[in-house]
Amino acid sequence: MYNIFQRLSSITSFAMSTLMVLAVLISLTTPFIPSSPTHSVTLHSVQNAKGRVVDQFDRTARKSEFARLTFDLDADLSSMFNWNTKLLFAYITADFESADYSTNRVVVWDRIIRNTRQAKLRLRKHHNKYTLRNMKQTFEGVEGANLTLHINPVPYLGIMYDKEVVSIPFSIPRPVVKDSAKEKAKTKRGKKV
Amino acid sequence: MDFVTQAKKMGVRSLLLQGLTFLSVLTSAFMIWKGMSLFTNSESPVVVVLSGSMEPAYYRGDILFPGQRTFGDRGWRGGGDIPIVHRVMKVHTERENGKQFLLTKGDNNPLWIQRDEIVGRVKGFVPYAGMGTIWMNDYPQLKMGLLGTLCLLSLFSNE
Repeated sequence: MYNIFQRLSSITSFAMSTLMVLAVLISLTTPFIPSSPTHSVTLHSVQNAKGRVVDQFDRTARKSEFARLTFDLDADLSSMFNWNTKLLFAYITADFESADYSTNRVVVWDRIIRNTRQAKLRLRKHHNKYTLRNMKQTFEGVEGANLTLHINPVPYLGIMYDKEVVSIPFSIPRPVVKDSAKEKAKTKRGKKV
Repeated sequence: MDFVTQAKKMGVRSLLLQGLTFLSVLTSAFMIWKGMSLFTNSESPVVVVLSGSMEPAYYRGDILFPGQRTFGDRGWRGGGDIPIVHRVMKVHTERENGKQFLLTKGDNNPLWIQRDEIVGRVKGFVPYAGMGTIWMNDYPQLKMGLLGTLCLLSLFSNE
């Protein structure tokens, strides 16, 4: 009746069900652990330039417009660390609307925060880590641009969710044509000769 | 002829009952899988991390659960035979037909992924629970042996 296999199987099944209930309870309660992160993003400048160093995998890089952001980020996310936080993934997205595309979301900066010491962010005049460019190679007609800081706590076990913490509006200017005067001079010279 | 004598002792009816319980175990596992697939609106409702490309967030052997197909990061991509979990870097949605173009980390710029190639989005996470799957994939004999002993045990146990 009670041989070793039956004992083993009942013990393991009991252990499995207990573990599963525990896992469900942990994942349900973790998002409700209170935290009080502080954060602010300030944008210094947005530059827009046409073309960049030629990328051998991307033929459009020469013609496309690239926006360069300069921003400050102050954040203290250390209170978001609790016993079930493996890491925080903080990232900044630029969201905007254009004529042909209703939603555009581009990640411009991210950071993996692995402990409370790294959770105190103080970035001064930081530039975007990833290129900010439009699908249509130009930012013409782009409106309603927003810079948003998201924080995604990755737990040791449980549910994953995103927290949009701060969002500031900005606009992308038309690219400054630097070499227009030079080009004009060149063509004039060409005409003369 | 140990099995035959045991079978004779148990009788046909109880043998059939054993077979029925065995089948019900199999089908209930399948039903749970398909039910989760329906609930999460994703063709593969549970995915085991096979590579270390998402470290330090997910390690080899971790199990990921998807949510509904929503706009956001941590997309995971079907299309090929193995789903790939990467963070989404860029999303552009066309106004006319709602077509979505995504670029994930690790892709090159011109290789845009379409929305229908995204299988799901990671919503839940259990560490190291899928290590068994990795072992079974690495050592097929282990899988066969385990399946065989399970079948024998379920057929010839008294309860």
